[in-house]
Amino acid sequence: MPIRGKKNAMAEAGETPARIAAPRSRKRIHWRAVLRAVHRDAGYSAVGLTFVYALSGLAVNHVADWDPNFRNSSEVHELNTRLPDDDAAAGKLVTERLAIDERPKEVYREGDQLEVLFEHRTLHVATLTGHVVDEQQKPRFFLRAANWLHLNRGKKAWKYFADSYAVGLLFLAGSGLFMLSGKKGLFGRGLFFVSAGIALPVAYLFWARG
Amino acid sequence: MKRRSFVGALMTGTVISALGGAAYVLADDEEERKARTALRPDGRPRLPPNQYLLKRLRPMGGDEGDPSPSGWRLQVHGEVENPFTLDFAGLLAMPQVEQTCDVHCVTKWTVLGAAFSGVRVADLAARANVKPSAHHVIFEAAHGYTSNVPLREALAPNVLVAHRYGGTPLGRPHGAPARALIPDLYFWKSAKWLMGVRFAAEDHPGYWETRGYHNHADPWKEERYG
Repeated sequence: MPIRGKKNAMAEAGETPARIAAPRSRKRIHWRAVLRAVHRDAGYSAVGLTFVYALSGLAVNHVADWDPNFRNSSEVHELNTRLPDDDAAAGKLVTERLAIDERPKEVYREGDQLEVLFEHRTLHVATLTGHVVDEQQKPRFFLRAANWLHLNRGKKAWKYFADSYAVGLLFLAGSGLFMLSGKKGLFGRGLFFVSAGIALPVAYLFWARG
Repeated sequence: MKRRSFVGALMTGTVISALGGAAYVLADDEEERKARTALRPDGRPRLPPNQYLLKRLRPMGGDEGDPSPSGWRLQVHGEVENPFTLDFAGLLAMPQVEQTCDVHCVTKWTVLGAAFSGVRVADLAARANVKPSAHHVIFEAAHGYTSNVPLREALAPNVLVAHRYGGTPLGRPHGAPARALIPDLYFWKSAKWLMGVRFAAEDHPGYWETRGYHNHADPWKEERYG
């Protein structure tokens, strides 16, 4: 038995007197507290991907109204000149006249039409008249990457990340049900909101005959 | 703001937005009314049910392919006696068709009188000499996108491998340099950035068809979802 205030052999061997002296506590582990802690940390780690999937989901859901990946634009220019027969010379003339610094990736002639291709831009040039339709695509910085991930364009390993995230969301939804007890918990107001959340899609299915 | 009034304001806003959206969706202009009453030569209304009109095609996204005409190749293969590969010059060297047709997107927009130029799939099929065992055509596009069409419908005279739209070469968002065009089915069947036409003995549901969309996609029967 260690004596308070006295150094003893066990303490010399590395044990602190306090630790030795502490009565063995029989703390109960409260499952709801553990659930809340795990839910909290799982929630933190899901924030990034939730933003990616939710914003991309909003963007792609309205794909009929806009291009979620690119800003597309089209302009018409008149060069008022006949283009040279040599493709490279014709491409050079067009890019110079339109003050384009970028080097074309390709110059392709089909009949009296010249296609000058850049990374995100195509010039459709009528070689006889110098009429140019200038089509440009500017990738949307965040959304293009988010859509790429959301639609799993990369395949391979991303499938497993996406699956893990989906399982994580299931855990968050499931654990969220039991985080609170009492009248604000699942068997109080929670029941109302959970029922409403389930009833809405079910009602829509009936209404839309899905 | 108190919680109760916040929730009230939120619900009011939601109802107003929903009603506004419904009014917008239900609004019908003169041109649409005409298109609903006008009939096609086959007796079907020009505007299929629950579609609205747009002036030009919308891009509708997709995993964009290489727009380079010089790098483009179209493989015609599968249940055929003479499989072949076309480059872009080869496509232009085949008999060309100019047509105006209506196209219908599953997201409910329709463009009337869209002008396309290209080569009939029926001409590609004739050149490849399709075997009697072929019953379906699978349009193969960049990054593994596919769409499936019954052979009989793929060989209709208005089904093209199109490379021009609206008088100019096909734009990048519309699948440059060439796309499929199947005007009488919802537009997702008209694969952009086309790379192959495969004749198949059995049906192989494509990208959207395996994700819940209808396998056939007839706009007049509203075959939107499977």
